[in-house]
Amino acid sequence: MVAAKQVTLLAQMRRGTLQYCVLALLSDGEQYAPELVRALGDVEGMVTSEGTIYPLLSRIRKDGLVETTWRESPSGPPRRYYRLTKGGQAALQEFIDEWDTFRDGVDHFIQGRQAHGHDQKSRGRRLPRSA
Amino acid sequence: MVTTKNRVVDDYLDRLDKELRGLPRARRRELVEQIREHIEEERSQYDIESEAELRNMLDRLGEPADIAAEARYRFGVRPARGGWRETATLILLPIGGIVIPFLGWVIGVVLLWASDVWSTRQKLIGTLVPPGGFMATFFVLVVVAQATVSTTKCTSDLDPATGKVLSSACPGGGGISTGHILLIALLAVMVIAPIATTAYLATHMRRGRQAADLALDVG
Repeated sequence: MVAAKQVTLLAQMRRGTLQYCVLALLSDGEQYAPELVRALGDVEGMVTSEGTIYPLLSRIRKDGLVETTWRESPSGPPRRYYRLTKGGQAALQEFIDEWDTFRDGVDHFIQGRQAHGHDQKSRGRRLPRSA
Repeated sequence: MVTTKNRVVDDYLDRLDKELRGLPRARRRELVEQIREHIEEERSQYDIESEAELRNMLDRLGEPADIAAEARYRFGVRPARGGWRETATLILLPIGGIVIPFLGWVIGVVLLWASDVWSTRQKLIGTLVPPGGFMATFFVLVVVAQATVSTTKCTSDLDPATGKVLSSACPGGGGISTGHILLIALLAVMVIAPIATTAYLATHMRRGRQAADLALDVG
């Protein structure tokens, strides 16, 4: 049960942050979807199946965070390029600020635990016995 | 070979389109288009020649059901939940026409078509198999009963002089004819069809509900 819950939590975290990973990828300039999909797929643990990126792209386009333009491709069919809008840039910046704070906060406890991990564990075990 | 490969892609996109049922039409179309573009782009980029390569590419894209679940999550759609309207539909379609003659079934059909839990094909099945639900069964039963009564009437020819019976015919009176077997088969179909249709619609609705739970679980 705990393992299953953790998997769900990770999936939730991944889903929640994926949008900002896409925005961050696009902050370097416009890209077409398969390019984005490949970039995200190259980082382990971000995307389980490539197709699930598309609902996200569709959503952030509807929200006005990105916009699309068709461009001719040197090879093959024309491509739909995604580009950050002003709103997208603002949303990304806002997330980056909050993420830094959040990550530092979590790291503070996790790394603190790693440093004194053993002590805390043994102390935790001793408490119920003395009670 | 090209046609086989196109069929594989078409099948995939068809499945995706079906799984996306419940999403706003524009979103549904956009998603299918995006995936189609992705497939075309990959095919031209990597010169995908064999069907195996093509299938590998589709595997990487993922199951249409997964993409659809993601789409529901992203758009906050709680699709295909069997609410009281769907329950009412499933009750009214088979027996509504009997409880409130004809009108009950019509209300069931209206509810059926108003719901987004079922596809057009399923709505057609729900409407037409059989039209009227058990009302049609009842109708057939009455017709059959009347037909049986009229065919068991004996007709006799009497000799006007002596009053003796010259010949007597009781069609259907003797044993079970082919006509009877056909009528019984028809009746059996008419009894089973409304039940089968209701069960079909009910199980399909449940599939939608599972998908919704999946989306809500993570959302």
